Order: sequence, then structure tokens, then C-alpha cells
Amino acid sequence: MVSYTTPIVKLKITPLFNNQSITKNTWYVSSQKDSIQFTKLKFYLTDFQVKSIKGEINTIDHSNYLIDIFKPETLEILLNTVSFNNGDKLSFNLGVSSVINTTGAHSGALDPSNGMFWSWQSGYINFKIEGVSPSSKTRQNKFQFHIGGYQSPYNTIRRFDFVLNKHTTELNLKLEKFFEGAKLAVDNQVMIPGEKASKLATVFFNTLSIN
Amino acid sequence: MSENEFQLGRQLFYDPIMSRDQTVSCASCHLQATGFTHVDHDLSHGIEGRIGNRNSMALMNLAWNSSFMWDGGINHIELQALAPISSENEMGSSLNEVVAKLNASIKYKGLYYNSYQDSLVTGQKTLLALTQFIVMLNSYNSKYDKYIINEDKGLFTQQEKNGLNIFRNHCTSCHTEPLFTNNEFHNNGLTLDPYLKDYGRMRITNKPEDSLKFKVPTLRNIQFTPPYMHDGRFENLKAVITHYNSGITHSSTLSESLNNNLQLTHKEEVDLLVFLRTLSDTEFLFNNRFSYPHIN
Repeated sequence: MVSYTTPIVKLKITPLFNNQSITKNTWYVSSQKDSIQFTKLKFYLTDFQVKSIKGEINTIDHSNYLIDIFKPETLEILLNTVSFNNGDKLSFNLGVSSVINTTGAHSGALDPSNGMFWSWQSGYINFKIEGVSPSSKTRQNKFQFHIGGYQSPYNTIRRFDFVLNKHTTELNLKLEKFFEGAKLAVDNQVMIPGEKASKLATVFFNTLSIN
Repeated sequence: MSENEFQLGRQLFYDPIMSRDQTVSCASCHLQATGFTHVDHDLSHGIEGRIGNRNSMALMNLAWNSSFMWDGGINHIELQALAPISSENEMGSSLNEVVAKLNASIKYKGLYYNSYQDSLVTGQKTLLALTQFIVMLNSYNSKYDKYIINEDKGLFTQQEKNGLNIFRNHCTSCHTEPLFTNNEFHNNGLTLDPYLKDYGRMRITNKPEDSLKFKVPTLRNIQFTPPYMHDGRFENLKAVITHYNSGITHSSTLSESLNNNLQLTHKEEVDLLVFLRTLSDTEFLFNNRFSYPHIN
């Protein structure tokens, strides 16, 4: 495999809330009028592929990334081993595939010591969103969404794709969308696979867009 | 796999460094001489005297298991150890914490280097090393095995043969030879413990049809692994046979093969008990390769 000194595809991830960048200890207000602070936001982007206009698929081995919005070094993904023509499509999973979920202990971003793996029921947590809101009448006003599950009908893996036409692409996360349908007074905790998790996976997926 | 990796896994298995306060190792609840389970404890113990909610399972022939734990919640042997490491009532730690402690240990940095040509401890390597030890815990030298393959001393008494026949007539649909489990989940007619309220498999699948179903355990070395059942409610095998003979609680998810009581005579019960003892494998239970590692 050829390794290039300059990245061929660069993905810059920008988490936003109503077009504001997200920092800790900052209050954001959702369309449900819930005041929100984020304490943790992590998610997996995995199994990157380039599909040419002709339909040829180039799978990028070991392209698994754990994004932590409070660790800037994780917000840039450099894919050094692919080339593309304008019009090709780049795709990836938001979450971890069922194949990876059922094949034992993995390394790197997928190492179970990263805290993104359930211990009592095997499976990756595809994304974690945690924070505080006065609306959330829980201990210390916390809300916690740990979303995962790889088995149908409640699979929580979603595949994103977009057309490549430049080397650097900005991937925005419009997090206000995640809270549009959620009243934190009622919905403040989902920690197991199931119907709710599957719905929230789609909602989180819909926060992604290409700038 | 390698001998070094196996020995690293063995060190980890017997080392209380795996628990938050360095008091509990894997071997605390999985003792070799009793088939790697916690003999005489209905529910297993953890750090700070905490008590878990299930009977520890015996560890043997695990490479042939398709899922792990009484509820099958673990889908791969390499991931099994995460459960006791992370459970509040067992080791009360996390893989992340264990990895940090191991990375600070000169002894383990050396052992990891020997196994992986890299002294950096990671979660994956730790789980793989433990797996190498666990998959070697294989029991296949019982009197039953020798009888089946007609080997040296493999002679069954008439009573043992009678017991085997009774076993094959009534027990093998779930406790299928040669592993003595079919790896399935069944409701075997136990009443719900009102304190534990443990519905077994349903916790994992959320399906009502899995209510009160638990993993069918192997019967190998069963003589040495009391108490029995997921909550350790039966202290001896006599009580287990009495349960199947006349104690089945009927419910909608009861295993079909248990619709009728066994109705064994007293003599048949004794023959069955005698047969179950032929599943004991002392070569396994006292194999030095699996015992506490006296090397440093």
C-alpha cells in the first residue's frame, strides 16, 4: 500500500450547536427550551470506503476512529492511502459494524479499554452524549445517552456518504437537531440497545452534514 | 498463540491486580480443584465483601461455547473477562484501570514484551492473554471419556452403565454429549427467586419468550462444582435430581422436554448419580499447568 506524505482525503469534524462551536461549561438552549451543557460527546466513525463513479469499491483497511469532541486531535481524519477522482463517493459507518461487534477483542480505537464497550452484554457503544440540564430531574441533573446495539431490528449503525470533490471536507455535527425531539425532563437516559436507542441513532445520524 | 502468552494469561488469572482494591482475582471465584468455580457459594463474592447475583460458572471446554454467562450476554470468549472486571459486585474496576496498573508494573511490562514483542499493555492484549489461558482449560480425561473410547481403565460398572442409559433417555436433549451442554438457554422449572428477580436470558434479548431461561451448563466435573443452578439453590446433586423428578414449576416458557416429571425410582436416581461421577476428570482438576503460577 502506498503511503503519501500529504493526506489525500482529509475530513474535518466540526461540532456545533445553533452554529456556535461547542466548549465545556457553556450553556446552550435547545428548541425545547432546555438549557444544556455538554460534558462528554464521543462517537465512532469506521469502515471508510471510496466508491468510484464506475462503481469500484476501495475499502480502507483499519479505518476506525473514535472521535471525542473535546480532544481536538481526534477531530481531523487523514486518509493517506486512498486516491479519488472528483465525483467518487466516500462512505463510512457512524458506529461499529456487526462484524467488528462479534469478532472478539480489537485494538486501537476499538480497544475495549476505551470505555466504549458494554461489559455485561457484548457490544460497542456507538456514541455517548452526556451533559447536564436543569430540566433533567436526575442525580446532579445529568443526562446520558449511550447508544449501541448491532442486532436487528434495533441496529444502531448508520452509513453516511458524500461526493468527493476536494481534498478537505468539513463534516458538521449540528447537535441542536439531536435535542429537537427530546424533552430532557422526560428523555434523559438511554443506556441499552433497543427501540429508543435505534431511533436516537437515526436522530444523531441526521445531525451530520457536509459543509 | 504462544506458551508465553498462555503463561501471561495464567499470571493475570491468578492476580488480584485485576480488581479495584487488589483483593479479588479471577481464581477467587474460579478455583481449579472444583472445576474452576466457587464451590460452596451459592452467589459469588466480590470486593469489599459484596455479593453478586449469580453462581459462578465452571470454566472448561469454553472454546466450544457459542456465548458466555448464564444469560449468554457475552458474544465472544475474548470479551468475557470484561464482565467480572467491570461488575460493581465482582472486581469493581474497568479494563482501562487494569491496563493502567499493568503498565505501571515492571513484571508485567516484561511479560507483555515476551508475548507481544512490545511492552505496552493494552486492553486487547490483556483480553487475548486471558483467553489463551482460558481456552486451554479443557477436560476430556474422565472415566466417561475412557469408557467411550475404550481406553485403559475405561470400564463401566453395571450401575454406571444403567446410569448412562437413564441419562441418555432423559437428559441428553439439553446436556448433549460430549460437551454435556447444547449451548442453548432453557427454563428448567425453577421458581423465581423473589429477592434476586433474575429472569435470565430475557434481560439480554428483551423477549418475553426468554423469561426464566438460563444457559445449559456442562455437567463435566459436576461432582465437584456444588452448589447448582444459576443461583446456587441446590446444595447437592441429590437435590438437583429431586427437582427434575418431582419439583418442576410449570410456566409458559418451561422447556418442552420437562413437561413431565422424571419419575425415577430410588434405584434409578442412585444409578444416575453414580454415572454423573464418571464425568469427573482429576487429570484436569490437578493439572499443574493450570494451577497458581509459582514463577516470578
